[in-house]
Amino acid sequence: MDELLELLKDINPDVDYETEDQLIDGKVFDSFSIITLISNISETFDIELGPQYLIPENFNSAKAMWAMIQHIQEDE
Amino acid sequence: MSILSVAFLLFAAGLIIVYYLVPKKAQWFVLLAASMFFYCFGGWRSVGFVVATALVSWASALGIQKKTDAQKAYLKEHKAELDKAQKDAYKAQMKRSRSRLLTLCLFFCFALLVFFKYTRFLLAQFGAEQSAFGIRADDAIRLLLPLGISFYTFQTVGYVVDVYWGKVQAERNPLKVLLFTSFFPQITQGPISTWSELSCQLFAEHSLDYTNYVRGAERLIWGFFKKMVVANIVAGYVKDVFANYPQYAGLTALAGAFCYSVQIYADFSGYMDIMCGLCQMLGIRLTENFDRPYFSKSVAEYWRRWHSSLGAWFKTYIYYPIAVSKWNQRLGKWAKQRLGKAFGDYLPATLALVLVWFTTGLWHGASWAYIAWGGVNGLFIIVSMWMERPFAKVKNLLHINESAWLWRAFQVLRTFILVTFIKVLPEVGTLRQGLGLWKRIFTEHTIPTSLGRLLPFATDHAAFFAAVFGVLLMLVVSLLQRKGSVRELLERRVPYILRLLLFAALFFMIVYFGVPASGGIGGFLYAQF
Repeated sequence: MDELLELLKDINPDVDYETEDQLIDGKVFDSFSIITLISNISETFDIELGPQYLIPENFNSAKAMWAMIQHIQEDE
Repeated sequence: MSILSVAFLLFAAGLIIVYYLVPKKAQWFVLLAASMFFYCFGGWRSVGFVVATALVSWASALGIQKKTDAQKAYLKEHKAELDKAQKDAYKAQMKRSRSRLLTLCLFFCFALLVFFKYTRFLLAQFGAEQSAFGIRADDAIRLLLPLGISFYTFQTVGYVVDVYWGKVQAERNPLKVLLFTSFFPQITQGPISTWSELSCQLFAEHSLDYTNYVRGAERLIWGFFKKMVVANIVAGYVKDVFANYPQYAGLTALAGAFCYSVQIYADFSGYMDIMCGLCQMLGIRLTENFDRPYFSKSVAEYWRRWHSSLGAWFKTYIYYPIAVSKWNQRLGKWAKQRLGKAFGDYLPATLALVLVWFTTGLWHGASWAYIAWGGVNGLFIIVSMWMERPFAKVKNLLHINESAWLWRAFQVLRTFILVTFIKVLPEVGTLRQGLGLWKRIFTEHTIPTSLGRLLPFATDHAAFFAAVFGVLLMLVVSLLQRKGSVRELLERRVPYILRLLLFAALFFMIVYFGVPASGGIGGFLYAQF
C-alpha cells in the first residue's frame, strides 16, 4: 500500500489519499493522470492492467486501487 | 417516420397506452415490437441489417461468455493439479479463442458500417472506378445508409467488448439483445448506451407514475420547442449563409457561423429532450447526452459535455485500450528515459488521442472536411494537455485568479468561439468551402450599417423574433440548470396553473411559429451521421 501511495503522490502531492474517495468522480484525476498512473502501477507491481479494469470504482480511492491490484495479482 | 409528425405522436401515444396495459413482464416485448415498427419506416433492408447485427453480437457474446465460464470452471476443478505455467498456458489458449470470436464480430459489424458509409469515399481516394465487389463510385451514392447504423454498430460492439472484458454477463435471449440494439428512441441519434446502463431500464417492470409521466411530457414539449421554433427557423439562415457567404460581409458570415452553433445545439439536444421525455413517460431513464456544453471552459471539457455518450464510447473502447496497451506503455517508458519525464508521460495519451480524433472525424462523415474537423479538435486538446504546465506558470506569473467569475466567463466565451469555428468547417460543404468561410470572416471587413444588412437572411421578422426568444429562453434554462432540474424547480416554486400556462404557451409557439422539416426522421442534423 505504501508503494501505491508513493505513486499517487507523484501524480498529485496535494491530495489526502487516506481519506479521498472521489478521485475520479470528483475530477481530482483526469484521463491523462490515469494513463500515467496505470503505467506506473503496471511497472511497480508487475501486473497487466487491461482496459477492463478502467472503471471509476477501481480508481476513486487508494483503497479501491489497492484492492484491484491484489485481485489482479491473485488472478495472475 | 418523421418525429415531427402527427403520425409519430399517434405512434408514441399508442405505445404508452399498450405499454401500461400489457402485463409488466411483457413490457420490453412491446418496446421491441414498437422499435421494429419504427424501423420498418426506414425500409425492410434497414430492419435486416439491424437484426443481423444484433444476432451476430448475441451469438458472439454468448460464445465468449461460454468460454469464460468454461475457463473458470476448469481452473477451479484443476486448481490443485496445475502449476502456474500450465495455468498461464491454458488462460492464453482460452484468451486466443475468445479473441477470435470477438474479432469475427467486430469484423462483421464494422465491415457493414465501412461498406455503407465509406465505400464512395474510399473509392474516390484510390481513384478506382470499381471496387473488387463490382461497386462503382457512382453506385455507392445509391448505397443508402441503413437507419442508425453508426449508432447501433457502436452500441452493440460496446456490448460484445464488455462481455469479452468480463464487465457484463452475456444475455441468453436474442430478442433482448435485438431490443438493446434497435431501441427506437436512440437509434437515429443516440445516445450510445452501454449494456449495464440500458438493459436494467429496458427489462425492468414499470408502473405508471404521475410525476414521471408529467415531467416526461414537459420535457417532450421543450424538445419540440427547441427543434421546431429554434433549430428549424435558424436552419434557414445557416443554409443561406453557407450557400452565399462569398457575397456576404465578414460579420454576416460570422453571424451565420454562430447561428449554426445555435441550430445544431437546439436540433440535437431538442431531439434528446423529445426522446428522453418520451422514455421518462414510459418509466425509462435514457443516458443523458448533454450537460450545458456551451458553458465549458476548454475544448476537452466541451467534448465531455457535448454528445457525451459518444465521447465515453471513444474513451472506453479506443482511448484507454490504446493508451494502456503494452506497446504504447513501452514507447512511453522509452521516451521517458531518452526525452524526459513529461514527454514520456504524455506520449501514450497523445498517440491514443490522435487515433480517437481521427476516428471521431471519420465517424461523423466520410470526407476530408470531417477528418480535418476531428484533427482540429484533437489538436486543441493535445496542445492544451502538453501546455498545461507552462500555462499554469504564466497564469501564476500574471496573478490570474482561476476561480474569479471574469476569468471563467472569458474561458467560456473563448471556448464557445473556438468550437463554433471548428464546427462550421465540415458543414459548409467541402473542406475548401469551410476554409473559405473562415477566410471570409477574417478578411472581409465591411461594417453593415443596419440590422437588415447584417442579417439579410432574417426576412420573416416574426419568425426571427420567435427564434431569438427561444434562444434567450434556452439560455435562461441553461443558467437555471446549474442548480438542478428546471422542471423540479418549477414544481417547487410555480403554482400548477401557471406551469400549465407556461407549457401551453410553448405549445402555442410550436404550433404558430414551428417549422416542420422534411426528411425521414424529421430533418435532424445528427441523423445524417
